[in-house]
Amino acid sequence: MMNKKYILVGIDGSAISDSLVQYAIWLAKSNGLTIKILHTIEHSHKSEHSHHEGNLTPNIRRELLKELSEEERRESKQLIAKGKELINAAKETVLKAGIENVIAKLRHGTLPEAIEDLKDEISLVMLGSKGKSHSDSDTGLGFHLEESIRATDTPVYIAQKQFTQPKKVMFAYNGSPTSKRALNMISQGNIYKEPLDIHVVCVHSDIKQAEKLANEAKSILSQTNNSIIAKGLTGDTIEQLTEYQQHNNIDITAMGAFSHGKLHGFFFGSFTTKMIQQSETNFLLMR
Amino acid sequence: MLFSPKSDWLGNIKGDVLAGIVVALALIPEAIAFSVIAGVDPKVGLYASFAIAVMIAFVGGRSGMISAATAATALLMVTLVKEFGLQYLLAASVLAGVLQILAGYLNLHKFMSFVSKSVMTGFLNALAILIFMAQLPELINVSWQVYALVALGLAIIYLFPYVPYVGKILPSPLVNIITITAVAFYFGDESMNIRTISDMGELPDTLPLFLWPEVPLNIETFKIILPYSISIAIVGLLESLMTANVVDELTDTESDKKRECKGQGIANIGSGLIGGMAGCAMIGQSIINIKSGGRGRLSTLVAGVFLLILVVFLSDILKIVPMAALVAVMIMVSIGTFSWTSIKELKTNPKSSSIVMIATVIVVVWTHNLAFGVFTGILIGSLFLAQRLSQFMFVKSEYDEENDTRTYHVVGQVFFNSSEKFISYFDFKEAVDNIIINVKRSHFYDITSVAALDKVVIKLRREGADVKIIGLNRASETMMDKFAIHDNPEEIEKFMQGH
Repeated sequence: MMNKKYILVGIDGSAISDSLVQYAIWLAKSNGLTIKILHTIEHSHKSEHSHHEGNLTPNIRRELLKELSEEERRESKQLIAKGKELINAAKETVLKAGIENVIAKLRHGTLPEAIEDLKDEISLVMLGSKGKSHSDSDTGLGFHLEESIRATDTPVYIAQKQFTQPKKVMFAYNGSPTSKRALNMISQGNIYKEPLDIHVVCVHSDIKQAEKLANEAKSILSQTNNSIIAKGLTGDTIEQLTEYQQHNNIDITAMGAFSHGKLHGFFFGSFTTKMIQQSETNFLLMR
Repeated sequence: MLFSPKSDWLGNIKGDVLAGIVVALALIPEAIAFSVIAGVDPKVGLYASFAIAVMIAFVGGRSGMISAATAATALLMVTLVKEFGLQYLLAASVLAGVLQILAGYLNLHKFMSFVSKSVMTGFLNALAILIFMAQLPELINVSWQVYALVALGLAIIYLFPYVPYVGKILPSPLVNIITITAVAFYFGDESMNIRTISDMGELPDTLPLFLWPEVPLNIETFKIILPYSISIAIVGLLESLMTANVVDELTDTESDKKRECKGQGIANIGSGLIGGMAGCAMIGQSIINIKSGGRGRLSTLVAGVFLLILVVFLSDILKIVPMAALVAVMIMVSIGTFSWTSIKELKTNPKSSSIVMIATVIVVVWTHNLAFGVFTGILIGSLFLAQRLSQFMFVKSEYDEENDTRTYHVVGQVFFNSSEKFISYFDFKEAVDNIIINVKRSHFYDITSVAALDKVVIKLRREGADVKIIGLNRASETMMDKFAIHDNPEEIEKFMQGH
């Protein structure tokens, strides 16, 4: 998986974007991948001044097309100029940090669309969780976050807190197929090569089972250069995990994500989304 | 298929709600006018417009597109209603919906690529003409007061938007309806014979109810409604997919055509089951929606819901609206649908394109069935293309005296229409030792062209020449391997004996 090309860093100029770039530098320095900074230009496809005359004049189709394309052209030009500033500033930061392999690109469309289009070239996606349109609300997830994560099968790194050198990782493990895949991915150690403190945490209704699962995962991860702690917990999964994050100053929560389809999420709400909303750590999601 | 991105629904709330209201106001006169075309009570068209707009908001593949009862489908129902009555129309609507869902699963939307720009222009022009013609009963043998009202209505529709401030806020078709109704109410009397909506039949007085069409469920019924359902399904999809293309182009976004086919089907089934007729997407209304700032699914939903609320609660007022006000709206729709530039372009466009466009219009206006026009347009267009391709096929030859070799170079597309021409290039009377046919720059498309090559080779061999074919490309080669006989001794024997 890591023989693909680059880390895709999606920035939108929100408060978290600067930290996101820092995290990207931190990861790229360890795994040696190219950083691709991407900003998407989302067209509103709305008209600035709509007409409510409600009538159809001769050749309306042609005239409306002319008017709307002219309007959108102006909007695009502005957005492109702004976007260029954003990505060039981010590129500058990366270059200053001593990483040469950096690409800065703009794309039309939404971030999930961009990820979908580029998915064959990406090895890791990095996003900020509080997208610009939601900066003011506390629990709001970035507008396109879930769609973005679902658009790719690569790991997705989500930054939600200001940059500090990450040291402690909590790996939420429950023995499900998705979490086993995640375990396998971490044990390969391709994403980050330097040693970290990894806390394998398993929440289960039966504490013995929880500990057993945690230890299983620990034994696999012990073969890596990380130092591993296993912990079994019982109770409400999200509550227990977030409490553990706080008590142990966890920087990154690693877990399998969106194991259920969209339909399930529609009716029951997604565990992944809730977990991200209620945590303050960064996330590494594996599908 | 109920799931749409949130932004489709909530990405443009203010614009969608306002546009939806504007569209609802314009939909009412259209729904009534199209009911009149089909020969049913206005409530049938109004319920249909409500049902289709609301359902397509959820199941359609093109957000911001408006679907409701339409002229294109109404025109196809006339004889069914006349001969068998409303219930058969409802059943036919449901069946048309089923066929459209089927078309969606069979990916029939892909055939839209055969509809050229000329056919599409012809379709729109024909639709405009039919909508205008449908207004004629209200315009022939009526008092001068009615003409005055229609003229006043049209003046309001086109000039009211120039009134400062209010002109840009109030939809002018609505202002037209209110003004004409008021004028007719205060100045009109019996002698003027001003027809109103109530003369056209029943208006909705309750919310729609779920009703299974009252037709005998047997093969007889099926045989009666099937031809109508097929026509409705085809025309409905044609107009819907064309409208989707128009909206795609205007908004620079993409739509899911397969979902649209299935969505139209579901909407028509729903319409038929609450006492509405079948419909499809509407080009004019969709443009009004976009122009009014509507982009999302919400605009379509608001249009449908608001229409029903207006109609059910204002039916007493609606009854006294003169038909003249509606006629003015429909003339506006007709003028807006017609592609006026296409007339100017008749001079500049290639003749073949103009002929396709005009043929489409003529066949539609003649048959009142848009599907026949489109098929005619596609057919004529294809013939022109075949002709054009044949013109680009030629064979040049050179003679090498030293080796007594004649080489023919075939260039272009060889197929049924150019095969004869292909053969005519060869000089069978020339006596040479060697003949090389170089087909590197050509393509043999069908068995007619392969047979032509066979004929040439065999004939030349009979004249005593050694014939060699070089440069067959791979696609042509497959045709040759399968169907050619000139390399197959036994077949050649048979062929020769046959001569």
